[in-house]
Amino acid sequence: MLEKALEVICIRCPKGCRIKIEKKGENIKIEGYECPLGKTYAEEEITNPKRVVTSTVRILGAIHPRLPVRTLYPIPKYKVKDVINALRGIVIEAPVRKGQIIIDNVCGTGVPIIAERDMERVKE
Amino acid sequence: MKDVIVIGGGPSGLAAASSLAEKGYNVAIIERKEELGGILDQCIHDGFGTKIFRKALSGPEFVDHYIDKINKLGVDVYLESFVKTIDVEGDLKKVICISPKDVNKLETRALIFAVGCREKTPFEIKVGGTRPAGVYTAGMVQRLINIYGILPGKNVLLVGGGDVGMIVARHLYLEGVESILVVYPEDFFVGLPRNVQQCILDFNIPYRPRTIVKEIVGKKRVEGAMLTKVDKNWNPIPGTEEFYKCDSIIFSVGLVPYTGKLEEINAKIDPKTRGPEVNEFFETSVPGIFAVGNLVQIFDYVDDAVESALISAEGVEKYLAKVPKRTTPIKINPGNNVLSVIPQRIEWEDNKDIISFFRPAITIKNAILELTNEKNEVLKTFRRPFVRPSTLERIKISRKVVLSSKEVFLNVRESS
Repeated sequence: MLEKALEVICIRCPKGCRIKIEKKGENIKIEGYECPLGKTYAEEEITNPKRVVTSTVRILGAIHPRLPVRTLYPIPKYKVKDVINALRGIVIEAPVRKGQIIIDNVCGTGVPIIAERDMERVKE
Repeated sequence: MKDVIVIGGGPSGLAAASSLAEKGYNVAIIERKEELGGILDQCIHDGFGTKIFRKALSGPEFVDHYIDKINKLGVDVYLESFVKTIDVEGDLKKVICISPKDVNKLETRALIFAVGCREKTPFEIKVGGTRPAGVYTAGMVQRLINIYGILPGKNVLLVGGGDVGMIVARHLYLEGVESILVVYPEDFFVGLPRNVQQCILDFNIPYRPRTIVKEIVGKKRVEGAMLTKVDKNWNPIPGTEEFYKCDSIIFSVGLVPYTGKLEEINAKIDPKTRGPEVNEFFETSVPGIFAVGNLVQIFDYVDDAVESALISAEGVEKYLAKVPKRTTPIKINPGNNVLSVIPQRIEWEDNKDIISFFRPAITIKNAILELTNEKNEVLKTFRRPFVRPSTLERIKISRKVVLSSKEVFLNVRESS
């Protein structure tokens, strides 16, 4: 029987409830949440916590030297740093369109990295 | 001659400008930077737009919605342009703005200031010691990392436990600094709890409450900081000084509305918000001059800043149509346990509900928000499960509730 206990702050709304979670096998005990969003969040946090990762990659020929990018969907929390590392060394040529896929299936998560904005090609 | 000129091409300015341009008004935007979008270009994290779009967008994604509208509507945009002077001649306002290419003289009937806020500097919180290289504000660091791909240093001390500080701490950690420590004088982080979780606790970033930087140490470059513990009133506790070795110190110690130009044209400033006083349609004390977004009040959510801009657009329409005002405005004051409130007065003849934002002075559960008049009669009550100073509250006040009062007060108390 797997046992796990966590104390987290809910990130679903600004109120930020402090929630205690205990997992014994299939049994999950959750205390301190004040709405259904908090309960769902707590269940995810103890089974498979996920986060959206945002960072930048190098871009050539654009108004700025960095292009902001993010994972299209939340990815498992334990892979956050891997995703950041996978972006190092990536170089993109302008122009880029918002939503354009920069890396397909980043770090085997099944989730792509997309551009957060348009960046036009500018004259050097 | 323009109907309205918007100064500032951030989310608030773009929302106001696009709303008025959609209704057929002749609008121009003056923007200091080389592109539209304001501060959101460097806010690449997600969480914007949960109120307006019902999903968590990144800063660039959020603001793109408004930039796109401006481009499609063909609004006149003056980029890399800085407003030098504004002359108010009654209904006519003359604006001179300068850019690296030229000087533009514009005329308009209404003006919307949407110039946002600036960061407080270490000088404003009285930090001692030397002034070497390696001392930054958090917004500057966010810009260096997210726009230019430059880390400010390798071993970083971050001062301040607010939202901006926490978000920048996460950027620094993820983008690969060797060490980071967050210090702040309060008992706990003062920003949104969800940022404590997803920026600090998620990555085990070390932090020390009740701690301040007494002195910056270093000759050419930062070599460290003298930290000291403080008591409840933020007074240093003698004997707790400790040298902390680092090569960069980042201050994230608050934001101040950017009111310089408004003061030049004698707009009244509220010492509590430090922004201009506004009526229920975000018009300042100077007729036809409006102010929106973080210039008026530091908002927690860009969604709320945009709401203030959309309300001001309705005010501009009233001003241009010469809709009459009340002979005497109704004052709105912060009452018990309230730090500040906007709008500061109700002025127009209108039927629309009044949207008010205020900052509570205390942290309590089961709060009752009470609207009282000059005779201390309760006009209306609102309930909140939880209030605290770091969360700006928004309420909708029906106009008929306040119309017979000379002035009203907004109070917060615990439910009995």
